[in-house]
Amino acid sequence: MAASAMRPSLSMGALGRIRMMPSAPTPPINPSLTQRATLSTSAARLKRHKYAGARDNRDHSKSRGESAMRGSGTRWRLSMSDEPLPRPVPREKLPPIATDPDHGLWDFFYDRERIVNTPEEDSKHGRAWSVEELRHKSWDDLHRLWWVCVKERNRIATANFERENQKLGFGEAEAKERDKEVLKTMRAIKHVLTERFYLWEDAVELAKKDPEVNLTGEGPAFTPKDYLEEADAAETPDTNAAASPDPAAIPSSTTQAEAPRL
Amino acid sequence: MQPSRILQALQYRRLRLTTKDVNKGFYKGTRTGSMGRHTKYGGYVIEWHKVRTYVCPSLDGFKLTPFVTRKMEPTRGIYEGYKDGPKDPKLYLARWKAENGLD
Repeated sequence: MAASAMRPSLSMGALGRIRMMPSAPTPPINPSLTQRATLSTSAARLKRHKYAGARDNRDHSKSRGESAMRGSGTRWRLSMSDEPLPRPVPREKLPPIATDPDHGLWDFFYDRERIVNTPEEDSKHGRAWSVEELRHKSWDDLHRLWWVCVKERNRIATANFERENQKLGFGEAEAKERDKEVLKTMRAIKHVLTERFYLWEDAVELAKKDPEVNLTGEGPAFTPKDYLEEADAAETPDTNAAASPDPAAIPSSTTQAEAPRL
Repeated sequence: MQPSRILQALQYRRLRLTTKDVNKGFYKGTRTGSMGRHTKYGGYVIEWHKVRTYVCPSLDGFKLTPFVTRKMEPTRGIYEGYKDGPKDPKLYLARWKAENGLD
């Protein structure tokens, strides 16, 4: 305080000098205050300290002078313009979204137009494949039939989700019945494959004792010895059943082609 | 694991087994198998030879459906002369001799 009072300054006006000049015996209690009150035109400059480490006298309030009640606005210029904001285009005016009509994801739906079949359509399905019918199918057929079942279950699950999601109402029981039939078919496929594997294991054991079969891998695997002699007598029922196992009962893939795809 | 008698009387076995019912070392998985291994820092490393990849065969021209028409009764096989019916290895071997006989 004393230092700022004593330094020569332009801000000290004539009145201040006049007061200090008489060197009155009564010392001023706070000369800087009295001078500032009367003469200061730049009080903030007077308050500034010079020594190292002195606190700054800056105004730390960034929103000084802003008032919501008085509508004073912001102190700084904002980066805004008067241009009107763009409006989103309504959906009807947008160009149609191009999709692949043969995309694989379409397989998750029964129909391109509708997301869910009606319960009547859902309940129009046949019975599951029986194990006996699948016993006569090849590995490739069973493999592909398995994936057909998987796709069918995917379709059912998609419809279930949409029915729940869009609150479409009835149809859950019919979908469940349909799913159950598909699961029966899948279980039959597993049954057949497991059974076939065990059967093969047992047949290999049997073939080791069979003199007609050569399992060493050298030479022909099968050499029918007394085929002609015993074919008429003993082997007839066996070979008949083996060569053409109940052809009337087997639904081949060609006959199944006419079955409605439901 | 054998529950105590009081728990047996409470039909404890009808509840599903959890890790809290047995001593340590019991791993109750989801029957799905792992796809990697745990590191000693607590992380997990995916091992791609363990990750399952399912390949759907080509279904072009495949006419079978999951369903069979209800107009057709479930067929019954004819396995005369075979003791175990369709599970008789003699049937398999005879069919192999008749149809293939090569490999």
